[in-house]
Parts: sequence; structure tokens; C-alpha cells
Amino acid sequence: MKNQVLLLAEDDELFASLLSFRFKKEGYDVILCKDGKEVKEKLNNEMPDVLVCDIMMPYFSGLEILDFVRNGLKSNLPVFIISAAGNETNELSAFKLGANDFITKPINPSVLIARITRKLILT
Amino acid sequence: MKSKNLLSQLTRIEQSLHDFSFDELTSEEALSLQETFNAFKLKLEAKIFDPQGKVGAETFNQEKSTKINADATQLIAQVSHEIRTPLNGIIGFTDLLKEDEAMSKPQIEKVDAIQKASYSLMEIISELLEYSKLSSGIENFENVNFDFRTVIGDVCYLTKTLISEKNIEFNATVHENIPVALKGDPSKLSQVLLNLLGNAVKFVDQGSIHLTIKSKQIDSNKVLLEFDVIDTGIGISKEHIGHIFDSFKQAEFNTFAKYGGTGLGLNIVKQIIEKLGGSIRVTSALGQGSTFNFKIPFEIGNAQVIKNQKINRITKAQLNEVEDLNILVFEDNLLNQKLIDQRLKSWHCNVSITEDANQGLKILQNQKIDLIFMDLKMPNKSGFEVTQMIRNHNDKNIRLIPIIALSADFSKSDKDNCRKHRINDFILKPYRTGDLIDKIIKNKKSFERAQMREALVMNPNEIDKMKNKKIDLIPILDECMGDISILEELIQLFINNAQEFMNLAKDHIKNKNIEQLEFAAHKIKSGLKMMNCDILLTIIQQIQKGCKEEVDMSHLKILYDQFVTEYPSIEFEMAKALNNLKNK
Repeated sequence: MKNQVLLLAEDDELFASLLSFRFKKEGYDVILCKDGKEVKEKLNNEMPDVLVCDIMMPYFSGLEILDFVRNGLKSNLPVFIISAAGNETNELSAFKLGANDFITKPINPSVLIARITRKLILT
Repeated sequence: MKSKNLLSQLTRIEQSLHDFSFDELTSEEALSLQETFNAFKLKLEAKIFDPQGKVGAETFNQEKSTKINADATQLIAQVSHEIRTPLNGIIGFTDLLKEDEAMSKPQIEKVDAIQKASYSLMEIISELLEYSKLSSGIENFENVNFDFRTVIGDVCYLTKTLISEKNIEFNATVHENIPVALKGDPSKLSQVLLNLLGNAVKFVDQGSIHLTIKSKQIDSNKVLLEFDVIDTGIGISKEHIGHIFDSFKQAEFNTFAKYGGTGLGLNIVKQIIEKLGGSIRVTSALGQGSTFNFKIPFEIGNAQVIKNQKINRITKAQLNEVEDLNILVFEDNLLNQKLIDQRLKSWHCNVSITEDANQGLKILQNQKIDLIFMDLKMPNKSGFEVTQMIRNHNDKNIRLIPIIALSADFSKSDKDNCRKHRINDFILKPYRTGDLIDKIIKNKKSFERAQMREALVMNPNEIDKMKNKKIDLIPILDECMGDISILEELIQLFINNAQEFMNLAKDHIKNKNIEQLEFAAHKIKSGLKMMNCDILLTIIQQIQKGCKEEVDMSHLKILYDQFVTEYPSIEFEMAKALNNLKNK
């Protein structure tokens, strides 16, 4: 069986490499993006199976990407938004735009992976 | 009998005089009292001002005389301090008594009488000090450009506050040909005028006081100003008018009983006027009033200097800066209290004024105070002592309040003392309104910066506490599912990020690019969180906070330097911890 593809958009290198390592361990093929522009390009070329997207990124924010996925690409792609600062307005916007989950930093990678796996089973 | 005892007895006499009914005195008793009083006065004068008993001291060798006068001044300064201290106790406690709700109205009236007597005694002591300073030639005169009409305006304002409780009319006429700017000693001029006008207020119960000022050109750069202080008061009889300017002389024997005072005021006035190169004379008719006429030559000042002072006087922006500031003033002189109170209130500052250290500290504890003005020469406790109490206060917020010293003369040692006592700034009296507001704004701003810095820059204790926390890589290794090579990769990334941050931040600080600095700080933050680097994380959070609040670059630089100082040991510890894990 072919591995599921996970697009990880996170501008923090350290966190990105740790997460990428962990997702790989979970059996995903990980595509790493450093900013919003890169994410949009990747999405236009090929749809991944899961998108994990930081909210604060250069060029396009996580919420803009989410809006692009749902309203631009009309896709039901599972999208997980991660946010540095707990911000209720952002959280609300994310769910209104159709995020599958909203996860606030500091993030324990194990918990993040457990949450994502569980949500993916449910969908 | 020690002078201290004598003085305490005199204090008592002074106070009891207010309650003493002179109607009970027979003329014989009055005469013997007068004789005793005069004999005492003569002895005192002879003792203090002419120690060898040689009246008409031409035979004195000049040097000796100066030294003796200086000694006398020293003595008087010490004695006045000795008197002021208990006197302040009296005033303070009578204040407390008046607050006592159990007091009946007649009791309060008596307490008022005690206070009034105490205040007049305080005034006497100040005059005595002034007199001795003038006589010994210690008094220094200023020679500065000043706005003549502003000085007269202040004098008139103060006079109006003095007559507010009386049914007296007061007006002033200043002739137009008087130059805008004069050069000389404005504080001495106002002292002379306030003394004469104050006397007039004292001796007029009903009627009017008039001040006129005329000017006559002497030569191209000098004018002779002629002042008339005309009142419709009790007047002075022919036999007394001759020695009205003598020291310790008052016009009538009962002047002292009725109006108090040392009889030094007019002598001081005369001495000042003469030292300024002028002259004074008086015309009077008993029961009709008096006219004091004096002339003082002044150099014509530099109007441009005054104009510049006026231009940077007060702008709207300045007013916005000081609006709603809470200012505490330590000042004992009633006139100065009124003056600073009126000025600060006109700028919508909230003003508290006290001359008592303990009361002041109480205010500091109960209210938010942004700035303190401190008169250095207060009775009881000096401004330096009060400052020390504030600077040693156990509440940090009180300890750090900016203090601006006020004084009529700042010697070099005063300035050193200000620095030593951590007084932030000082203003020379009489100050110009523009100076006052400038100093307030300047000190308010530097205080805000200091507070910001205090809030931003971590203190060494805090850093030491965090240092004791060892770098623990185990939780991260767990997240890497025990894979040391991934952990090693992460640590390498961390090191790269930190070094990149240090390089970038250095440039951003140099180029004053707050936005980029904030972004760089943001980028490194989550890595620091992940690696549990509490010290560096705290510093980065402070940098972010500082960027948001737009603090001075220099404070961000301090934080950056702290980061650079702390970083190497973190990297070292991390490498050590990684090695330990590898060897397991």
C-alpha cells in the first residue's frame, strides 16, 4: 500500500524537523513547506492526504491556506491548524472555515500525532 | 543659662502674647516692661553683632569683623535649626489635634492660635537668618536676564492671595517704557516687593494698597526703576519714622504686640536695596497710610534671551505630557507652596503639598505619585533626609519615584549631595514656568524609561535561579522516540538557529529595525521552548515585549547582550548532555 502524503507547513525549522521525523515514523510521506506561498504551489500541483498548517507563516497565513483549500480548491482535505498563541478569534475562524482541528502551542508532538490520528479515523 | 533654654522661653513668651490682654496692664507696668524689653534687646544686639562691645565698629579690623559676622551667621543658623525642630513638632501635633473630632469649637480656636503663633515664630527665624546673611556679606546676588513683567506678575499674584481674607483693594501700575528684559537679581527684587507689600497687607485692615513702577533711562544700557508702595494703613508717627529701617526697631512699641515680627524686615529690605545700588525712603502720616519709595538701577537685559525663554515656554504638547500627573511637593514656605500649587494645578496636575516628612510618606503610601518636588531647606528634616527616607523605602514603587530638588542656591556641595542622595534633578528658585514644565517632562520620561528597563531587563538573581536548572534532553529524546541521531540533528538546528538569530539581531539593532528584530525573535522562540532553554526564552520574550512597546533600542541592546552572554554556556551544556546520552 502506498504511504499517505502529509503536507507540513511550519516555518520553525526545529519544530518542523521533529514533527516531520515523527510523522515519518507514523508511516506518512512528509512534504515540508516553509511558507504560505510554497504551500499553495504544492497544493496546486498535487493534493496531499493531510495538511498540518501553522497559522503564522510568511506570505499566506494558515487561515488563508485553509480558505484556499475549502473555497478555492473546494476540497474536503483534512486540515489541522496549529497556532503559537491561543487566540479565540483565530480558533473560531479556523473552525468556521472548516478546520478539522485547532491545536495550540506549546505542542507535545506525541499528543499532536495522537490527536491527528484519532481525528483521521473519525472522518 | 544656655541659649537653648532662653530660646524656648522666648518661644513661650511669643505664644503667650497672643492670649495676653494688654488692657490689664497699667501704664507704669507697661513702661517697666518696655525698659526690660529694650535692655534685653540691646544686650542681645551687643552680644551677637558687636561682641567686643565697641559701638561704631570703625576701629575693627575688617578681617576680624568678617570672621565674627560669619561666626554670628553660623550661630544664628544653628540656633534657628534648634528652634525650628521643636516648633515643627508643635505645628505637626496641633494639626493632629485639630483632626480630633472630640475637640470643641473653643478648643479648636485655641489650637489655631497656637499654630498661628508658631508660624509667625517660624517667619521670625527666617528673617533673622536672612538678616545675618546680609550683614555678614555671605548673601550672594544673581546677575541674570529676566522678564521684568513676569516677576511683577508673580509678586502681584502672591499679594492678591495674601489679601484674599481682607477687605483690601490692590492694584499695580507698571509704566510702559520699562524694558521687557532687565539684568539683575529677580529673586531679590521680588523679596523686597513682597516684604513691603506684605507689611502693607499687615497694617491695612480696610482700604487699598497700590504699587506703581516707573523707569528713567540713565544711559544707553541702564535704567533707574522707581517703585512706590502706597497703602492706607495705620501709618507711622513722626518720631518713629526716622529709625524705621533700623534693625530690631519697629515703629511703635505696640507694633510688636499687635502685629508681631522681628523688626528686621525693613532693615533687610534696605540692605538689599542698597546692595543693589539703590535707595529707599518713606513718607507717612499716622492714621492715613504710608508710602515706601525706592529706586534701583538695573542693566537693560537681552530681550532675545527672554524671548527665547518665552518661545519655549509652554506648548500644547507639553501640557498633554504633564496632564493628570500626580505630584507631591515638599515645601515649607507658604508663599512658595501657593505659587507651585497654582502653577501645577493650572496644568491640570494633581498636587499634594506638605512640609512634613511623615505626612509625605503617608501620602506616598496611599496615593500613586509620579514625581516629587523637594525643597532642600526645610525645617525639622532637611530635603536630603526626606529623600533618604524615600530612597530607602521598602516599597520599590515609592523608592524609584523621581525627585527634583528645589533650592534658592545650589552650592557645589549641594549638587554633590543631590547626586549622593539619588536626587534626579534640581531647579534653582526662582524658577521660570518653562523650566518647571521642562524638568517635569524630562524626569517623567526618564522615569518611564527606567521603569521599562527594570521591567525588561532580567536581574542577575533571576538568571542565576534559571542557571541552576540543568539542561534535560530526556523529554526531547522521548519525543524523538529514543533516536539519538534525530536529537543530534535537532540540537544542530538549534545551534544554527541561535547563531543566525545573534547575527541578524545584531544588525537589526544597529539599523534600529524593530520589526525585523521582532520577527527574528519570533522565529527562534519555539525552538527555545522545545529545548527547554528557560533563560534564553525569557530573554527572547522580553525582546518581543520590548519591540511591541517600542522601548528605546538601547534597552533591546541590553537584552540582546544578555542573550549573547548566556548562550555559550547553554550550547556547552547541551553538547555535554548529548554526550552523556550517547555514552549510555
